[in-house]
Amino acid sequence: MHIPTMAPDVLFTIGPLPITNTVINTWIAIVICLIFGIIISRKISLRPGKFQNAFEFFLETLLGFFDQVTGDRKKTMKFLPLVGSVFFFILLSNWLGLLPGTGSITYQNKMLLRPANTDLNLVFGMTLVALVTSHIWGLITVGFFTYVGKFVQIRQLFLSFRKGPLAIFTAIIELFVGLLEIISELAKVLSLSFRLFGNIFAGEILITVMSSLVAFIVPTPFMFLEILVGLIQAGVFAILTLVYLTIATTKPHAVEEH
Amino acid sequence: MIFIENVFASEAEISQEATSSAGEGILSSLGVNAPLFAFQLLNFAIVFVILWFLILKPLSKKLTERQKMIDDSIENSKKIDEILKQGEKKYQDRIDVAKAEANAILERAKIESDFIAEEAKNKTKGDMEVLVAQAKARISSEKDNMIAGLKNETAGLVVTALQQILGEKIDANKDKKIISDALSKLDYEKK
Repeated sequence: MHIPTMAPDVLFTIGPLPITNTVINTWIAIVICLIFGIIISRKISLRPGKFQNAFEFFLETLLGFFDQVTGDRKKTMKFLPLVGSVFFFILLSNWLGLLPGTGSITYQNKMLLRPANTDLNLVFGMTLVALVTSHIWGLITVGFFTYVGKFVQIRQLFLSFRKGPLAIFTAIIELFVGLLEIISELAKVLSLSFRLFGNIFAGEILITVMSSLVAFIVPTPFMFLEILVGLIQAGVFAILTLVYLTIATTKPHAVEEH
Repeated sequence: MIFIENVFASEAEISQEATSSAGEGILSSLGVNAPLFAFQLLNFAIVFVILWFLILKPLSKKLTERQKMIDDSIENSKKIDEILKQGEKKYQDRIDVAKAEANAILERAKIESDFIAEEAKNKTKGDMEVLVAQAKARISSEKDNMIAGLKNETAGLVVTALQQILGEKIDANKDKKIISDALSKLDYEKK
């Protein structure tokens, strides 16, 4: 039994770039996306075929969920490029990890294929892209000073000196709340990335152990479970990204009141 | 003094190095390293481009187009429905006007027909009265003629009968008297 390690195995290098088994899975996902993309972009029409219909069904269901978070179809469509891409890529990567051969085919005594989301580099990358994009979007939408004011509430502190001790006390608390907001933003990176990484990595180990104990039938329910986990985790990541984007692009209540 | 400072400085450096190497150790045990991170970021960027430009964008565009088409169709059907309702209203109005006109025409026709019928009736009545009067006059004259003829016939018969009975020729005066008696008797009997 070969229990996968947290770090992906480096199969070979191209110059300074290490090519790991998770990178191979990412490439497979890219190729599949490319094939689907070429088929869809070539055959797309107002009267959809079966293939287009299936994708449209997925997309419309997803848009419905996204609308519940944003509360506005325009906002949903604005965030769709990032959130939709994240969702479909994570979903495809997770499900690719369940294909036969993943974890069992070896190359130089290393696993040739591993689920892409068991690589923290990729998961961190996606999380950072999501969060940085949300902050940039927030800065553009709400305005620089309003947005920064969410985290660094010094202006309130200066204004409070004219109003009296109670206002100063409130402003100091708000200043610390702002600092807590900064810490929570940093925590978002860890929570978002480790949630996905942990679930997929745990699933991989679970299936590896089950397959090592009994090769047939017994791992099947766990594989079905992993199909569900893959879908749920993709959904959770995408929805949380959308939530961060929506919150970042919404004006704070104090600003709205003024 | 300088020695002590050097010792403290080297201790600080050592602790800093230990901390950084521990951090690097955790990251490396998790498999996180800068080149791979950058490479995976690039991979994600490629996926993003493919998914957005080849799948999501065309699909969402088609969905929007279809939605617009459906909305336009609904809007058009509403307009058509409105036009149809207006048409039906106009049709109903015209039917009502036509009905009113028809009723007026019927009313007028009835009045005219009543008038014509009354006129015809009156004319017929007049004609009938004329005809009846004429018939009465003709009947009366025929009756008079018949009575006169009958009188003459009767008188002739009476004379002939008397001549037969009496067997004698009566003179003119006697004859007249007998005739007038017979006639007056006949009138009496008639009455």
